Amino acid sequence: MTSQAEFKESQIEAEGLAIRYLEAGKGDTIVALDSLTWGMPRLYHALAQKYRVVVLEAPTPDGDGLPKSPKNLAAITAQASASLAPDGYSLIGTSLGANAALWQALQDPEKTQALVLISSIAILPSGGPPETSGSPPVQSLLAHLENAPDLPPLAPSGASREHVLLESLKEASHDAEVESRLGDIQCATLAVFGVEDKMVSSEAPRVYRAKIPNCNISLVYDAGHLIEAERPEALINLVLDFVERRETFIVGRESRVINP
Amino acid sequence: MKASYFGPMGYSQRHLFPATWPIPPSYHDPETSVQSYQEGMTECEFAEEMGFEWVSFSEHHYSGRIATGNPAVMAAAVAERCKKVKIAILGQLLPLNNPVRAAEELAMLDNMTNGRLIIGFLRGTPNEDQVYTMNPAEGRGRLREGMDLVLKALTEPEPFSWEGRYHQFRTVAVWPRPVQQPMPPVIVATRSDDSIKYAADHRLGLGVSFIPVDQMAKVVEKYNGWCQDAGWQPESDQIVYRGSIYLAETDKKADEWLARLKGPTRGMAGPSNVIRAVQAARSGEEFDLRNVIAGSASGDVTGAGPRLSFMGGPDTIVEQMKAFHDRCGAGVMDLFFQQLNTDHREVMNEIELFGKEVLPRIKEF
Repeated sequence: MTSQAEFKESQIEAEGLAIRYLEAGKGDTIVALDSLTWGMPRLYHALAQKYRVVVLEAPTPDGDGLPKSPKNLAAITAQASASLAPDGYSLIGTSLGANAALWQALQDPEKTQALVLISSIAILPSGGPPETSGSPPVQSLLAHLENAPDLPPLAPSGASREHVLLESLKEASHDAEVESRLGDIQCATLAVFGVEDKMVSSEAPRVYRAKIPNCNISLVYDAGHLIEAERPEALINLVLDFVERRETFIVGRESRVINP
Repeated sequence: MKASYFGPMGYSQRHLFPATWPIPPSYHDPETSVQSYQEGMTECEFAEEMGFEWVSFSEHHYSGRIATGNPAVMAAAVAERCKKVKIAILGQLLPLNNPVRAAEELAMLDNMTNGRLIIGFLRGTPNEDQVYTMNPAEGRGRLREGMDLVLKALTEPEPFSWEGRYHQFRTVAVWPRPVQQPMPPVIVATRSDDSIKYAADHRLGLGVSFIPVDQMAKVVEKYNGWCQDAGWQPESDQIVYRGSIYLAETDKKADEWLARLKGPTRGMAGPSNVIRAVQAARSGEEFDLRNVIAGSASGDVTGAGPRLSFMGGPDTIVEQMKAFHDRCGAGVMDLFFQQLNTDHREVMNEIELFGKEVLPRIKEF
């Protein structure tokens, strides 16, 4: 069980807009772009045990006066991140937040020391999410509903954050401009996908690997789009290892000795 | 309907084995063993000559009855002798193995055979859960994850890492890729509902072993239903039945052979405390030895009668196989000729008789 870090809420101005953020922990800075639709992920609590975690709660698609375009949004989050972590940071973007994180890494390569994309929907080689209209909304985000018994039920209101996020995911379109610039991302990059992500075709992960020079792809078994809800331990283990060791995270270091 | 020759590469003196598992290695004589593998490969070559369209191998451990602990090694050797038949691995015991290693072996075989490989996945018999010390309670989950990982490893063109429940690999990039694209045919050998549904959902074939036609029909009915739900219909080659066979010139001669048999045809022990413990673990139950009032530590030989799927003269065998075709839609018969009490010469005679008298007729189905 991961200890709960105490995240404190603050605001920062960037590009003339007030950005709300939550912060916990000490050490090197990790900036996360996350809609926090289902609350504060266990991943951030785990990271905050070793790092200073700043969650920019920016990329909610329902507005707050923020631009909807990931490219324009990234200009704001990049400025906010630079103010909060002038020495640089590891950057994590989840789902729609990963689209903005890609742009932020392109716009501020000096500050972005490592990039983690979780369930990114920026690259959609098949043109958009596969048809999931027959599935109940939350089920379309999960591999198996029973994997996520603790996930709060979807709010009944169609205007809830969850519904807005779901609609935005279904309407997501391929970002051809960011794809054409993936080769410019020089920092160590990890792109994480659930093996059964219904929002992203199985062809998408390989595009990141093929085009970003220093990119690893990680497939999380038995997880859909909400990896955090279905396989939190796997996600924590993976991201912690990558943030600490960057591209060398592929080198084994667990002892297999039995009864020395 | 097609015929497949199952190559168990049985040790020729297997009738001398104790009826327990594992077979102590002390029973092994190098000269006999070398000869047994040579005879087994000769049987495969002859089966191809007689018109069998597949030869198959299966992973089993610690027994000279089916002496192919690594079926890929056996398949590679036979593939050099048999140049036309499909080479079917039916299958690898994925719960026991490193799935990436399994995928590498399969990809190599598909290249070495220029695209003649057929892949099969198998959970294994309860006794084999003891091989490599796997927790039987995890067997089903390990099979499921192993199948997903092998399929991904064989088809993914870019390197990836895998964060599984049972396996973690930070770099997977199988080389070579299979010759057959996107993937060689895959059979899931199972009778359990979750694996049957897995096969249907993934558009994979179904393999069923050694059960009577009535039971096979029920399994295939479920499979076909789930295939329909998934929007596809299996082809005849995707329903495979593996059965034991004894073929004689006439029904009378087959009956006489059966009457000569003493002891259990398959020579396996009945349930020991160990096997009971494995089965309990597979069912998610605790096995408490203190509750056992009677029973031996090493297994009780039950003296079970012969369990043959097909027995008789050619007419009878054709009729028996037609039932599997008509009632189950089976398109491939994977046939286990090496009975405990049949020697190489008898097996060769059966292959010849099958090729001349049975195969031309079942091909018509």
